[in-house]
Amino acid sequence: MSDDNPERTALFIDGAYFKDLIRASLTWLKTNQEAVNALNVFPVPDGDTGTNMVLTLQAAYDEMKSSEVKKVGSLAEKLAHGALMGARGNSGVILSQIWRGFSKGIGNVEVLDGQSLVKGLVQARDTAYKGVVRPVEGTILTVCKDSALAAQEAYQETNDPREIIKQVTEAAEKSVNNTPELLDVLKEAGVVDAGGKGLLHIFEGMVRLMNNQPLDIAPLGIKPLSLIGKQEAQNAAEPGQDYEVIVDFKPFKPLHLETFYDELEEIGTSIQVGEGEGIYRMHIHVPTEKRYEPIDYTMTLGTISKVHIENLMEQTGNSHPPEEEISLNPVEPGQIAVVAVSPGIGFTKIFASLGAASIVEGGQTMNPSTQEILTAVEKLPTDKIIILPNNKNILMSAQSAAELAVKDVRVIETTTLPQGLSAMLRLIPGQDMDKVTAEMKEAVTDVESGAITTAVRSVDIDGIKIAEGEIISLHNGSLVSSEENLKDGCFNFLKAAQAEQYELITLFYGENISQSAAEEMAAMIQEEYPDQIIELQFGGQPHYQFIISIE
Amino acid sequence: MNMEIEPQGNIHISKQTIATIAFQAVQRSYGVVGLASRNIVDGLTHALVKDPTHGIDVEYKNDLINIDLYIIIEYGTRIKSVAASVANTVRYQVEKTLGLPVNEVNVHVQGLRISNLD
Repeated sequence: MSDDNPERTALFIDGAYFKDLIRASLTWLKTNQEAVNALNVFPVPDGDTGTNMVLTLQAAYDEMKSSEVKKVGSLAEKLAHGALMGARGNSGVILSQIWRGFSKGIGNVEVLDGQSLVKGLVQARDTAYKGVVRPVEGTILTVCKDSALAAQEAYQETNDPREIIKQVTEAAEKSVNNTPELLDVLKEAGVVDAGGKGLLHIFEGMVRLMNNQPLDIAPLGIKPLSLIGKQEAQNAAEPGQDYEVIVDFKPFKPLHLETFYDELEEIGTSIQVGEGEGIYRMHIHVPTEKRYEPIDYTMTLGTISKVHIENLMEQTGNSHPPEEEISLNPVEPGQIAVVAVSPGIGFTKIFASLGAASIVEGGQTMNPSTQEILTAVEKLPTDKIIILPNNKNILMSAQSAAELAVKDVRVIETTTLPQGLSAMLRLIPGQDMDKVTAEMKEAVTDVESGAITTAVRSVDIDGIKIAEGEIISLHNGSLVSSEENLKDGCFNFLKAAQAEQYELITLFYGENISQSAAEEMAAMIQEEYPDQIIELQFGGQPHYQFIISIE
Repeated sequence: MNMEIEPQGNIHISKQTIATIAFQAVQRSYGVVGLASRNIVDGLTHALVKDPTHGIDVEYKNDLINIDLYIIIEYGTRIKSVAASVANTVRYQVEKTLGLPVNEVNVHVQGLRISNLD
């Protein structure tokens, strides 16, 4: 690779433009943060690779942005230092190593030319790979490696760093899409590597800046299918846009997104487009008289597989009950107090009304720490405490809190919310601790628990095939079925739990389903189970449409 | 997955097994470039028996699994983040492989490795 080719023009990136490029990367990464987070290997939405990478890059950019120096070499050094100090999580640490290598590789250059860019990327790869004994391929490391290789190849033809970045981005995209071939766990989960995707967004941000494409809004952004749904729109109903229309379709030919958006903007507002496995989902709010137009229009573009139309005005008229003050049960010294873990406002109220003395917020995707539980325990003015963890994932923190506390703390091993409520009913604050604990433990077995949620991506578990967006139902924590609609999901659970042999079925509806839809479901269940008493309560839990208790 | 409900008999899992799983996880953890012995005497005995899992201690206490990792980290990475993610990875892999909950994973950073970048 020599530099003396006369045909190569002296093209370079100066300090100011280098800053702009990094800012563009950061903005674009932020825009795509949620989509990266959604690339989880598990069907519960708790990933945070996107967030970690954004925070790391933000720290890096902050370190550099206020600097007066014009030298790209010095700026890159600051960037690397900021990334090191701000590195969050595994992906953040790798990203910081990439910047560290990049900074070393380009050296103390005044401006960034093609040659130094290539050196930077090659050194970034080498440094990134040094940080691990046995590198796992199919991760951000692979994407980094392929990017460096692409830079070397591009440099054979051009000395223009902009052109090299463009070619690197193309290669990075291919590399990201290839990650499932290299890493089985990704293939099984049907996703690409989140960290690799994040790195791609960093390159893409630069290219978008060069092409003058928007960065902060994602008008052409394609979200994972699961992120597009009616729950997102509920608080966004504008006057005049009374209907929400969601159409799933498979385009005849590759979709020209810009035209697609333009056409949709003629029809309505709140436009979102999602893509997953070749199926596109279009979401839009339209006035009453235009409610069929989006469907007619999409029909010209592809085969429609599913249509959902909902009157938003009816929804807003029937929204969740307003929030009220929650009064927790005051405890006297010497009495037994209960600390319950609750995932939502509705459950908090129910626990409070049953006599809980303290509530710790937490659930499937937000496990409270041992410290939080311990604080709740220590704060109560009594030394007899019972903890109801109400989730398998929280059991351990609850037990550690019990061990650490100096008080007499017992953990009732409730792994579901219905179990927690059932145990709660046996509380007699003035009675003997051993007796109450035994009673509550016994109550746990009295109840069958169900949970209904939407799979955030496709997966194969326990021999059951789950497709993204399907409704999965769980009976006492194990998977029962995966169905296309909510009704089948609920009924499969009731059947599995043999609901007909019990007396009372209580539905706790979550924050992602409207009251009217929940009432409708309760009515359908009543019809099928005429001998049982059906109760409907607002649980307010995230992610789960219903938590069901049968007793 | 729970060990207590095996109808045919009991399953016993040795500390060595758990340490081996942890060892695999540590090697794939970003930022960790090696395992270290706690002290020289330990190092010698381990060296003599060629223990692949030196630098990893597994303890059972009242049915709870506690794992101690003695690691060497790459110089120039954020130690806190690396330590947190190696602890997470080890906990996850052990729990996933064995189906047994891990009580605690303690990370002891025994040193840093400075790679020559030039």
